[in-house]
Amino acid sequence: MTMDDAFDARLKAAFADAAAPLERESESEAFSRSVVERLSRPDRKRVLILGGAGSTGSAIAGTQLESVFGNMHVPTEGLLANAGFLMSPEVLAAAAMAVAVGLVAAVLPRRIAG
Amino acid sequence: MKAPDEELVALVVATKNAAAFGELVRRHQGLVRAMLQRMCRNHALADDLAQDAFIRAYEKIGTFTGKGAFKSWLCSIAYTEFLMAARKRRSTERAMEKFKTGLDDSEAPRDMGNVVDLDRALATLKEEERIAVVMCYSCGLSHSEAAEATGMPLGTVKSHVNRGRAKLQAYFQEAEEMAS
Repeated sequence: MTMDDAFDARLKAAFADAAAPLERESESEAFSRSVVERLSRPDRKRVLILGGAGSTGSAIAGTQLESVFGNMHVPTEGLLANAGFLMSPEVLAAAAMAVAVGLVAAVLPRRIAG
Repeated sequence: MKAPDEELVALVVATKNAAAFGELVRRHQGLVRAMLQRMCRNHALADDLAQDAFIRAYEKIGTFTGKGAFKSWLCSIAYTEFLMAARKRRSTERAMEKFKTGLDDSEAPRDMGNVVDLDRALATLKEEERIAVVMCYSCGLSHSEAAEATGMPLGTVKSHVNRGRAKLQAYFQEAEEMAS
């Protein structure tokens, strides 16, 4: 064994000694548990930022829906005319927007967590 | 019999099995934490970075191709976390400096087996030398694995390791002469 080899062995042993306390059963168990717990807890900041961005996008898209539904012809006679107030462009746009926002709020955090 | 790393990785990729990933964490946490402790010389910060590295590894586990050892792949993620944290948080740098100056330099090193002495000796190396030495001697990576993990050319890693090793040898020789 050369002097260099001997020093290499000493250096490796020194690094191993320094790492030894981390290899204890209790230590590795506690660290591993804390990592696994973090995995089951999605990053709240990320969820809020992405959820907020998605909701804002949906809200902007929702405001454009009125012009789409604005060209609809609502019947003035018969059964449908009685329910006509439900088919006003504003109500339809608001409903579509609510569905979009609800989907974003329900799906996005689950996708991030999964 | 313990399942090999590759089997556990396949299980995590296929089913996102947290228990299987927990076993991988148990097996490699010592390596990753020791590496980060030697690199940043601050145990609390190193443990935080190690946690972040394992979370990142879980998120990116599908990108592990199995070409090299799982521990090399893990070390490269931990090294990236270390670099990102060093760049992002200037306050971290200040904390590290504070920790460095907190060491009592008047006391002569006794033996390289002592953790404080090893950290003090590593503090005399340049950043790249310290990283290369830690990767090869603490993590047990080969020169080419360390090159892959750090993104440095193989020749550069070899010269950093040789230079760092020579400096450490000189440091401990001098310390032993002073002590005797």
